[in-house]
Order: sequence, then structure tokens, then C-alpha cells
Amino acid sequence: MIKTEKLTRTYGTEELPVLALRGVSIHIKKGEFVGIMGRSGSGKSTLLHQLGLLDTPTSGKLIIDKKNTKEFSNKEKSLFRLKNLGYVFQEYALLPELTSIEAVSLPLMMIGLNSNECKIRATQALEAVELGDRLNHLSYELSGGEQQRVAIARAIVNTPKILFADEPCANLDSESSDVIINLFKKLNKKLGQTIVMVSHEPEDKNEVDRVIWLKDGLLDNQQK
Amino acid sequence: MTKDKKGFLQKIQSAQTTLNDLKVATFLAIKQVTRSNKWSLFLTISIMSLVFLNIAFIAALMSGMVETMNSQAIDTQFSHIKIEPPENEMFIKNVKSLKNKINHLNGVIGSTAHYKTYTQFTYDKRKDGQDTKIGSWIVSSMSPEEEKKVSIFHNSILAGEYLNKNDRDKILLGKDISGGYTSNFIHESLGGSSGLKIGEKITITYPNGIKREYTIKGIFDTKNLFADAGAFVTEKEMEDMLQVSNQATEILVKTKNINNTAKYIQDFRSIGITKEKINPWTEYTGIITDITESMLMIKILLTGIGLFVSGITIFIIIFIGVINKRKEIGILKAIGMEKHTIVISYLLQALFYALLGIGGGLFILYFILSPYFAIHPLDFPIGLVYLEILTKDVIINSIALIVASIISGFIPAWGVSKKSILDLIWGV
Repeated sequence: MIKTEKLTRTYGTEELPVLALRGVSIHIKKGEFVGIMGRSGSGKSTLLHQLGLLDTPTSGKLIIDKKNTKEFSNKEKSLFRLKNLGYVFQEYALLPELTSIEAVSLPLMMIGLNSNECKIRATQALEAVELGDRLNHLSYELSGGEQQRVAIARAIVNTPKILFADEPCANLDSESSDVIINLFKKLNKKLGQTIVMVSHEPEDKNEVDRVIWLKDGLLDNQQK
Repeated sequence: MTKDKKGFLQKIQSAQTTLNDLKVATFLAIKQVTRSNKWSLFLTISIMSLVFLNIAFIAALMSGMVETMNSQAIDTQFSHIKIEPPENEMFIKNVKSLKNKINHLNGVIGSTAHYKTYTQFTYDKRKDGQDTKIGSWIVSSMSPEEEKKVSIFHNSILAGEYLNKNDRDKILLGKDISGGYTSNFIHESLGGSSGLKIGEKITITYPNGIKREYTIKGIFDTKNLFADAGAFVTEKEMEDMLQVSNQATEILVKTKNINNTAKYIQDFRSIGITKEKINPWTEYTGIITDITESMLMIKILLTGIGLFVSGITIFIIIFIGVINKRKEIGILKAIGMEKHTIVISYLLQALFYALLGIGGGLFILYFILSPYFAIHPLDFPIGLVYLEILTKDVIINSIALIVASIISGFIPAWGVSKKSILDLIWGV
């Protein structure tokens, strides 16, 4: 599903380069629930951003669903993200003017579904994250955990091939975090959803199928 | 599939995508406007309404002033068409016959003939030759009833009465000759600050040396500086003084259609007025044209400032909106929304604010200010000024406000949405 070869990402200037990724080669299979872990500054979020086409690698190869992403134009990248990838961020960043069902409908509207189809599928997605009773609530009327679940519903409503989550529980209490992790596990086990999740919580390594450990922008094969 | 068919299908697909982007942008814009803070929405629309009102009011006021000056020139000096003697001649001949022919032409409301001559006025208040005031002004003749169809002197009497056709030693004075009242030239007038009174006597010396004492019958105030520094006697009186008959220095003609003077002039030529000079009123209003051009400059300047203010207002509103929603915009881009869709949604918001502002401004202009000023016109030295709302000005100002708003909305929306997804999410 995802394959990288010697992926690098350098920030900063030519004089003062910051080597965030220094040649990462990984392979994530369809249906896997993979964790990307490592210390702060190890490059885990940077790797996720490259895999999720939110950023452009400095060098290396990134193949997603058998497509070489280097050949994508910006427009093609946007369309590919819309149709194939889902994202859950630490910042759930829901538009305050939209209700839960409207926020989740947005990606469906973007692919051109009519309002009735949008409503049905958005309701199903919200029910899947156990927010069937919060359809018409605005974001400020929801708790942090509920807002993150709306963000997850928004991420999965287009039935993406891969779901990326960047420290999705960082802003949540432990109870809400458990709900989110269990939700990911359920999506993975029941629907076969491929999930790539960055986490800094050590206990999360027990929740995923496999962990990709990073250290200083490289794979850390010492960690287990 | 042929190449042509493939190209056609691609075009349809592209049009569908564009329509869908517009639909999504409209959805976002509507939600952002309707679910925003009601007070801030109200204040934004109020500011836009006031900005538009400012622009439209200034334009209407300037147009009103120009209209007043034009009306005064028509109603007190030139009417719609002015006929003057042929080159090198002092008078128009056979005036009665000419007026008769002119008045029978289709579209002519009326005509009036004037003799006009420079005269010397003498006012000896105490009749002792000790405190005599002298001045030079033009005296015109009039046929009082004919004049009513062409000018407004009969409706501008400040004191006393209008002339009637049998008056012989009576004179109608402009307020700037009499002084007093609201005269603009008290020191140059005969009566100074207290002004001349009805029934008082003045002596006029005609260019041929004839002196004649007149009783002041009426004093008029047209608020036109040029007209109010003049005086009238009856036509018969003037003919006796100048020892002429059936002639005139000018014939003024009022027509039904002010914009078709060329056609009337052609008609006048066709009935035998061939040698006389015939010109529309616009040929004589050089000073008004100058003032109009100056007012146009002021109008453009004030409109520009108004548009700049509205542009800044929209810029601030949209800027604050996009800055506060950087993360959300980043996420929207991350999930696949294209930059132009986000920009369009903010442009639609700017358009919405501009349209409601225009609507609010027009409502106040048409239903509050215009009726108010119709009852209480502004009393300028040039006359009573009403608001003259020109459709052309309203359209131009509306389009200008919409364009200014869209440009002002575009700049911050584009500036933020062009940032990379990660910069937006991280708030860089």
C-alpha cells in the first residue's frame, strides 16, 4: 500500500540544513495498523506528512497504492488526498460555523455527491464514531474527545484507502484517548482500514499491529 | 473513443468540477456568514452601508447642486434656447411675428422677448442730493404674462408685487440691487444693509440720456447671482425709453424636451429665423461647466476615499477571518480542498457584505434621506439644493464598491490560502 525508498526531508537553508528525515525506507501493507514512534524530534511527524502527501520529500521515492507520487501535480495531489487519504490531526480544527454533520459532509460535497447522499453517509460516519446523537451540534458544543471523533468521521467518510493520524490523542484526557484508540482498532479490525498513526505515548505500541521506530530521522531497528 | 469526444468529455468534467467547487465555496460562505456573531455581522453591514451612503450621498448632493445651478440658469437667464440679433445688429426685428411663429411650433412651451440695456441707477434717500447712491446695472424689459411661461421671477418675489403689463413707471428690482434681505452684495447695492423699500423711488438714466423716475413695485430673489443683479420694467415702458418698437435684444424659448434643443433650433431656422444667432442654454453656462467639472473632481476624490475605507474594512474583516481560521484552512486543504475554492468562499463573503451594504445604503438614501431633503432642502448661497440621485451614479458606485470589496477580500484570502498545508496547521 505504501512504500518508501531512501526518503529524505531537509528543512532550513543551504548553510544551516535541518535533516529531518535521512533516508527512510519502509513498507506498509494494506489493512495494517502501524504506529510511528520515537522521541521528540526523531522525524515521526515529518515522515507522516510525507506519507500523507502534506509535504514534498527532498529526495527518495514514495509509492502509494502503486502510484509514484513524485509525478503528481499539486492539483492531482489534492484530488488524490481527497479520494484516497484521510487525516486526523492533534488539532481537530473543525470550522466553528459547521455542525458535526456539515463538517463531515464537506469532503463528500467536494467529490460532488448530492446533499441527500452527503447527509446519509455523514450520518453513518458519525454513527460509526458513536456521535449519532450529536449530528446538529456545533463544534463548541462538543467536548474535546467528541470533536476529535467528528474529525475522525470526517477523515473516514470518503472511505479512504489509508487513514493518517498525527498524535490524535495528544490533547485528550486518558478516557477520551482510550475511546479514540479503540475506535481506530475497531475501524482496522472490522473494516480493514489501513491506519498509520504517530504517537509519543509508549503504551500505544501495544495497540498497533506494528511500530516503525525512528531516531534522528532514521529507522531505529534497536527498538522493540 | 475519438480524440474530439474525449476532449469534449474532459471539458464537461472540468465544468462539473468548477460548478462543484463553486457549490462548496458557496456552502462555506453561507455558513460562515449566517453562523457568525450576529452583532459583528450587523456592525459589518452597517459600516458598509454607511460607506456606500457616504459615496452615494456626496454624489447625489453634487448632482443636486449642479442641477440647481442649471435650473437657475434656465429659469432666470437663458431658458432652453436663446435667440440673439444677427451679427453687427443691435436688435432682433419683427419680434411679435417671430414669437407668434415660435409659440405655434410643436413642443414649445412659451417664449419671451427682452430688451436689455446698461443703465445708471440713482437713489437719493433724503431727496436732498446729499446722500445719493449711484450704480450701474442691466435693466431688462418683460411682458409679465409671457414671462411667467419662461422664467420664475413671478415666483421669486421677496417683497411687493410682480409687474403687470400696464405698469409704466414701476420697476422690479433684484435683491442685489436693492440691498437688505439676503443680498450677497450689500455694499455695492443701493439700499445697503437695510435695503430699499417697496414704494421708494429711484432714477434710471438710459444710454440715450433719458432719465426716468421709477417706483419700486417688487423685489425678487432667485438665488442666482447673475439674475438678482438685474431689474425689470414692462416692455412698453422700455420701448418708450429706447424709442424702438417690435424689436428685442433676445428671445428666450422654453421647450418641452430639454435634451432635444438641436431639433427645435432646426425648426426655428425652418420658419425663417435664419440670420439670428440661436443657441441652446448650455452654450452660455461656461462658469457652471467649470464648477461642474470641479465638483466632479471632488466627487471622484471623495468616492475614492470612500472606496478605500470600504476596501480596508473588508480587508480587515476577511483578514481577521482567515487568520483566525488558519488551522481550519490547513485541514480543509489537507483533506483535498483546493486553494481557489477557499478563496472563492471568502470572495463570496466579501460580495455578500458589499451587496448588503449597498442595499442598506440605498434604503437609507431613497427612503430616509431623499424624502427628508425633499421637504427640507439644503439652503446654499446658490439656491435650494435637493438630493439628485442619478441611476448612473448609483450603478457606478455599486459596481465600484463591489469591485473594491472583492479585491480587498481576495488579498488576505489568497495570501493565507496559498501557504503550505503544514504552515497553516502549525500556524506559521
